[in-house]
Amino acid sequence: MFRSNNIVARIFQRQICTPAPGTSVHCARRFYENLVPSFTIYDVECPDHSFRKFTDDGQYLISFSRNNQDLIVYRPTWLSFSCKEEDCDSHDLPSKARRFESFFTQLYSVSLASCNELICKDFFLYMDSNQYGIFATSTVPSQDAPATGGAIPGFPSIEKMTFHLLRLEDGVILDEKVFHNDFVNLPHNMGVFLYDDLLAIVSLRYQTVHILQIRDSGNLVDVRAIGAYCHEDDELFLNSNAQCMAFPDKSKMHQLPQNHVQNGLHHSQPNLEESFLSGIKQRLLSFIFHRIWNEEKDRTLRVQCLKKKFYFHFQDYVDLIIWKVQFLDRHHLLIKFGSVEGVVSRNADQHPAFFAVYNMETTEIVAFYQNSAEDLYHLFEQYCDHFHSTSRNSLYMNFISSHSNNIHALEQLRSIKNKATSSSQFVKKMLGSLPFSCQSQSPSPYFDQSLFRFDEKLISATDRHRPSTDHPIKFILRRPPCSLKFKIKLGPEAGSADGRTKKISSFLFHPFLPLALSFQYTSFSQPSVVNIHFRR
Amino acid sequence: MGSLFGDWPSFDPHNFSQLQPSDPSSPSRMTPATYHPTHSRTLPPPDQVITTDAKNILLRHIYQRAEEKDLRPKRAAPEHLVPEHGCKQPRASSSSC
Repeated sequence: MFRSNNIVARIFQRQICTPAPGTSVHCARRFYENLVPSFTIYDVECPDHSFRKFTDDGQYLISFSRNNQDLIVYRPTWLSFSCKEEDCDSHDLPSKARRFESFFTQLYSVSLASCNELICKDFFLYMDSNQYGIFATSTVPSQDAPATGGAIPGFPSIEKMTFHLLRLEDGVILDEKVFHNDFVNLPHNMGVFLYDDLLAIVSLRYQTVHILQIRDSGNLVDVRAIGAYCHEDDELFLNSNAQCMAFPDKSKMHQLPQNHVQNGLHHSQPNLEESFLSGIKQRLLSFIFHRIWNEEKDRTLRVQCLKKKFYFHFQDYVDLIIWKVQFLDRHHLLIKFGSVEGVVSRNADQHPAFFAVYNMETTEIVAFYQNSAEDLYHLFEQYCDHFHSTSRNSLYMNFISSHSNNIHALEQLRSIKNKATSSSQFVKKMLGSLPFSCQSQSPSPYFDQSLFRFDEKLISATDRHRPSTDHPIKFILRRPPCSLKFKIKLGPEAGSADGRTKKISSFLFHPFLPLALSFQYTSFSQPSVVNIHFRR
Repeated sequence: MGSLFGDWPSFDPHNFSQLQPSDPSSPSRMTPATYHPTHSRTLPPPDQVITTDAKNILLRHIYQRAEEKDLRPKRAAPEHLVPEHGCKQPRASSSSC
């Protein structure tokens, strides 16, 4: 579309040329090749907060106080000084401009956590249709919690965990959802997924997926809890029919009153637990059974098949637990199942893991794969974008580079695939990133693989801490003339004197402005140097 | 006839002199060519309704594969029990199902 790399020529050409159908956003994004954050202000004096991220619409910068009890929200602004000279470029920035406050205005500070609670500073979800933010505070988890009231052993227990729904415009807390004596994997949004206005919270301890809806009025409404029950009225139905059921083991009857631990919603297990499996476990086992049953038409062989493939592994299937969940659309969940040891030890390679697609409306399991399944990998390779399920409202999320929408990312994936020694190991490694965590990638166009080439080990769209380097990170144009466009240099201007301590770095890129913050930490988790990169 | 465009500037006032303006009282003799099908094999069924599938493509593929597995043709018994050639391996453990 553009014949020249000069921005003025491009603007003139844009006036007369229409981009090819369906590529208007891609053509508009090419202007980011011209507007780059090439200027760095080193070692900016900034408030001692831990900065979490820019919201995906670019309106707010979220940060938490150092003691993890307050939320401070800034509005990204821009420098406002003017230069009356003829040749402004050669002038240095005035010292007033080289401050954090020139770029960010503090909007408000809200205290979220009370005395013994702390804000989980790696957790933040943003709902951009209403500008609502979701934060989590919790007490300190206790590692050796007894497994009472239907909890499964092996997980720590958090005495009180609260999810706060805030209106970011003014910092008003709209609603809260509290969990007691539970455990949800909070860091990096791993145990919570936001899709549109639906929130899925995975309670690992009680093996329940809580689905909540965020209303426009700002209320968090419970929709359903999937785990021991599938339909919303299962509990009512089972309890009302409890007295009609004949208990096979009469000696267990005296234990029933002790099982009723009042622990908030859906935490009291039904007293029928001993007699049959219910809820999602039942759906899963019956799906596996039916699939093996339907494969083989001959009756004797069918039974052989069932014995070998189902009954032999029955207890392993029963012992599977829900590990992680994501939405595929409003009605379908992708659930990762694993063994307790696999989830707790975090060393996923040795332990089996399975993926199930579950339809919440019909309460049926649609598909079930092992984590080395080639068919699931083919779907992942071709339709990766649909696994990053995004709500209808946030269009910019459709343009984050992935190997399904970008030829360069696909080539990278293919090269890893060719270098892999074992195909099933490669598939397991790739599928290990499923289910995806919500809002973990930056929508900044500087991470668009078709615009820039950069070292993915040092910087990428995923917001994780990376090993830091003293050399600047180069962003090179993909298209000819493939020139170096800008560099992100960490640390102080002169380079750090101490080259031996291991440093880690993290980056915050504004979603659409040529503005980025880089942080270089020493191992004491205090930001030693903060740099601001912007287009001067 | 007078110029069709009145007093508008033009290179050659005799351009368009042969063009007759369409007169609503006398219908045009030119009828567009119409094509009629010679057979009715491709007619849609009378009760056909075309709608958009609300499911995204990933879910459509997952459902399709699930349906294909259900409709898989039955295997003849001898093939399953005894591999005829050395290269045919019996199915691996249930976890690959």
